Amino acid sequence: MASLLKSAFNAIKEKGIRNVAREIKEAGFLNCLPDGNLLQIKIHNIGATLVGVDKFGNKYYQNMDNQYGRHRWVEYGDKKRYNASQVPPEWHGWLHHITDHTGDELLMLKPQRYGIEHKQNYTGEGDEYIYHSKGHSLNPGQRNWTRYQPWEPTKTDG
Amino acid sequence: MFARLASKRLLEIRQIFNQSPSQSSRSLSTALNYHLNSPDNNPDIPWDFNAKNKEKVREILSHYPSNYKQSAVIPLLDLAQQQHGGWLTVSAMNAVAKVIEVAPIRVYEVATFYSMFNRAKVGTYHLLVCGTSPCMIRGSREIEDALLKHLGVQRNEVTKDGLFSVGEMECMGCCVNAPMITVADYSNGSEGYTYNYYEDVTPKRVVEIVEMLRRGEKPPKGTQNPNRIMSGPEGGNTTLLSNPTPPPCRDLDAC
Amino acid sequence: MGLGLLALRASRTSLLGRSSSAISRPGFESGNPNFNLVRWIISTPELQKPEAATASEPAAPPPPPPRTPVGGARVHIEKPEDAIEVFVDGYPVKVPKGMTVLQACELAGVDIPRFCYHNRLSIAGNCRMCLVEVEKSPKPVASCAMPALPGMKIKTDTPIAKKAREGVMEFLLMNHPLDCPICDQGGECDLQDQSMAFGSDRGRFTEMKRSVVDKNLGPLVKTVMTRCIQCTRCVRFATEVAGVEDLGMLGRGSGEEIGTYVEKLMSSELSGNVIDICPVGALTSKPFAFKARNWELKGTESIDVTDAVGSNIRIDSRGPEVMRITPRLNEDINEEWISDKTRFCYDGLKRQRLNDPMIRGPDGRFKSVSWRDALAVVAEAAHQVTPEEIVGIAGKLSDAESMMVLKDLLNKMGSNNVWCEGNGMNPQADLRSGYLMNSSISGLEKADVFLLVGTQPRVEAPMVNARICKTIRATKAKVGYIGPPAEFNYDHQHLGSGPQTLQEIAEGRHPFCSALLSAKNPAIIVGAGLFERKDKDAIFSTIESIAKQAKAVRSDWNGLNVLLLNAAQAAALDLGLVPESENALETAKFVYLMGADDVDLEKLPSDAFVVYQGHHGDKGVYRSNVILPSSAFSEKEGTYENTEGCTQQTLPAVPTVGDARDDWKILRALSEVSGLRLNYTTLGGVRTRISTVAPNLVHMDEREPASFSATLAKPETQQKMSKEDFGVAVENFYMTDAITRASKIMAQCSASLLKK
Repeated sequence: MASLLKSAFNAIKEKGIRNVAREIKEAGFLNCLPDGNLLQIKIHNIGATLVGVDKFGNKYYQNMDNQYGRHRWVEYGDKKRYNASQVPPEWHGWLHHITDHTGDELLMLKPQRYGIEHKQNYTGEGDEYIYHSKGHSLNPGQRNWTRYQPWEPTKTDG
Repeated sequence: MFARLASKRLLEIRQIFNQSPSQSSRSLSTALNYHLNSPDNNPDIPWDFNAKNKEKVREILSHYPSNYKQSAVIPLLDLAQQQHGGWLTVSAMNAVAKVIEVAPIRVYEVATFYSMFNRAKVGTYHLLVCGTSPCMIRGSREIEDALLKHLGVQRNEVTKDGLFSVGEMECMGCCVNAPMITVADYSNGSEGYTYNYYEDVTPKRVVEIVEMLRRGEKPPKGTQNPNRIMSGPEGGNTTLLSNPTPPPCRDLDAC
Repeated sequence: MGLGLLALRASRTSLLGRSSSAISRPGFESGNPNFNLVRWIISTPELQKPEAATASEPAAPPPPPPRTPVGGARVHIEKPEDAIEVFVDGYPVKVPKGMTVLQACELAGVDIPRFCYHNRLSIAGNCRMCLVEVEKSPKPVASCAMPALPGMKIKTDTPIAKKAREGVMEFLLMNHPLDCPICDQGGECDLQDQSMAFGSDRGRFTEMKRSVVDKNLGPLVKTVMTRCIQCTRCVRFATEVAGVEDLGMLGRGSGEEIGTYVEKLMSSELSGNVIDICPVGALTSKPFAFKARNWELKGTESIDVTDAVGSNIRIDSRGPEVMRITPRLNEDINEEWISDKTRFCYDGLKRQRLNDPMIRGPDGRFKSVSWRDALAVVAEAAHQVTPEEIVGIAGKLSDAESMMVLKDLLNKMGSNNVWCEGNGMNPQADLRSGYLMNSSISGLEKADVFLLVGTQPRVEAPMVNARICKTIRATKAKVGYIGPPAEFNYDHQHLGSGPQTLQEIAEGRHPFCSALLSAKNPAIIVGAGLFERKDKDAIFSTIESIAKQAKAVRSDWNGLNVLLLNAAQAAALDLGLVPESENALETAKFVYLMGADDVDLEKLPSDAFVVYQGHHGDKGVYRSNVILPSSAFSEKEGTYENTEGCTQQTLPAVPTVGDARDDWKILRALSEVSGLRLNYTTLGGVRTRISTVAPNLVHMDEREPASFSATLAKPETQQKMSKEDFGVAVENFYMTDAITRASKIMAQCSASLLKK
């Protein structure tokens, strides 16, 4: 506890109180008050090693002192609305104990030409995220399924 | 380096396109398997057997029963080819089809099948070099090269004066006197048509033969080796020199 | 007496049953396999060394159970002494003499792979895929070309046969491009299927593959000649069935290719069939190219209505769209071919469709209205005229149901002026023999002399023409033709062009008479184009007298035929759609056109109210006041009777377009609106009504021959034949009705193939 205070004091001394306060806010410590999960993760993080950070800002921690199977976790970059689909595929394997290679290592293996960017699951996030097939009337680019060409009454003689 | 490779490839492609289509496929001793209209070969040119050959056509047809006239397709095509200076136009084949009363396609099938029927123009003297293994071993490649170089043409191409063309032929059964060439002489129509073998030729000798033909002489046919008599060994026979003795026969009177 | 006979029969079965019936029923003695072996397989080593044979007997397996013949193959052995017995994989089959090994294997239930063999074409034997092992034969035998011999032991799945097939397949695939993913034949390709079933899993060919220049065979057949495996099926088809010797096998060796040599389109009206018989993707359908894969398609077995033959077809559809039309096997009608018009008219089903009821407003423009309004307008107009002024005309493509309802409705309105176009104003509908092909389409094969009067079967009914062509190839039958100069694809004598020649034949003054009189089964085919002539009855009575002289109508042979032009004609005459007065159209005030486009509407009074009920915006639409959209043949269930009197039905393959309805339903609704309710509401009800008028129209897929024969003309004919020559009934083979006139492919065909 003393070391924690000491490091905090050092940080304030280096960066100034305003910057430190902003950092604390960005790191989500303020959200810990209404969000117990986040608080628990923050407490867990003490003494754990930060293995890597992905491009979404998710931080991956490991603590070998914990019970095996509970020794890896993620602190989501988005502090307000987070879910498991925010973990990109390269980190998924490490996080779920499938591999010991970290996401930064696996990122090298990502196919350069046809790999698409990871997108989180937006289910339930609004109508604009609902997928409609090409034939669906709500699909803006709905295909024309008329397979015949009607007769046009242009000639009116007779 | 990449630029050099690309330019090389470009050159190759250009070379391929530079060759006329008929030329590249005619390197296979037969012409195209389909017909392309040209001023001297299209179905609108009238063609018929001349009076003398009409007589021959009648004679050829008399060999076959009247309901099997189509059997005469090969001799008639040959006759038409002789009459037309060594090659068959579409209208010549149509004329044959008319004589034997079949659809023209049946005649085209036969004419495209046999490599002896030329469906593109050939020289008055069509030189055919045997290219099968025995002749090839004995140097038919050199002979062909000598001919082509002397005449200044490609294979199956006609010289500018229309006199000569060189083609390749499969085995003509003269392996004992290999290498050999054949000269199909279309200079006198179907009456004076000859098809002579010149055997035991050398690159020097074929050029002489060509020059003799050009002068209108008739080179001696058969083996060109003065030391051989027909297909006998060089320098005379070596075996079977004595008179053959009759086989022993039992004395019928003794019994 | 009865007991004695039974006893005799029982003893005979016990004596003879083993030798005769046991062979046909191999399960008969299944309890004793050894007995069977000794009885059936007479092999020399066993006869020479009986003790060795007995020693090996227990090891011999019993013959395998009989398999069902491939594709329902059947055989009819006419004379029992002509039957021979062969063994296919140990299983004995009886086949008639002269059958090939391949056919014997098919009867035994063994499918032999093949490419060049086709059972309707001559045998070529050049693909070598059908190699089988025959005992005591030093080499594998090409089964398609080898006649079966008595006692032959054919083995189809021995290592030798398998290796032979693998080897042949490897050679075939050597020059075959590996472009199955972009090949239209993919999924229905014989080479694909058979290389999966019989081929090796690897090839040893590392050289360059051959390539062949594609040929232009016209707007229907797409060629990718590099894929060709030189089976020559198309060459034989063109020569033997289509009767146009255009295709040939050119070149030799690896340079061999199929082609026409000179630039030439395939000028046959059956050319589309080469698409079906090509075992690979060398010949594919040009209009269908890259449109769909065959496994995406839903097949509906239906009937063609573009001519009067009623070819059996399968309509392949994907979703709401007809993708292609392929033939269906029917030995009595179209064998397995269909004409190009049948096969490629389908794009006409998607163009120029009427999809909404329309009414012509006072400004002369059509505007779409609801069904209720349209029917109300029609009912109103029908009420304002006297019954004699009402006229109903059924079109070429009308089905029997709608014609029945049309007739019923107009009869209720008080008019009897209802007829089908093409039948003329004075049809002979009393005796069915007067408008049917009495000797049946397949029966034409028995004929030895044909007399075609005013008909060009090549354009009027290509499938009948193919039958005639087949007969002529098989039996050298003679053909005489009376009519305007026309193209034929077989030898024929052009006897004359008008009724005068007919008169000469009837009086025996014509040289063709000798052929006609000496013929065993003369067939006289009269074109339905003559129905429109004024002197029709006189012509028909002359033809009848010719038939009488030639003995064309006997109890065992009826050679007096009428070749109809349209799908609706036969059913219309069966249902009695006959106009009451010959000039009904001149005085009509209310005309109901049910898909009738070829009626001469010029004669119509200008104040006549015209209702057009149909599926295409064709000729008839422009004169009409009300348009009622109906469904086409691919979208409805309808009964059609073909020219030989065979009743068949179409089935809906795709949904109707827009607001269109079935013809009979529209008429039924109209009857309701106009207060003349017809007392049936279902298709079954309509058919029950039909069965009271023409019972033969409800017996599906059955040919009902005419019961009374030998009367073509109305008996009380006092007409004289005019000097006018016979006309051409079908000007343009590719465009005869509303569907084909709307088709783009047919327009291309008529532009490129009918060019003189």
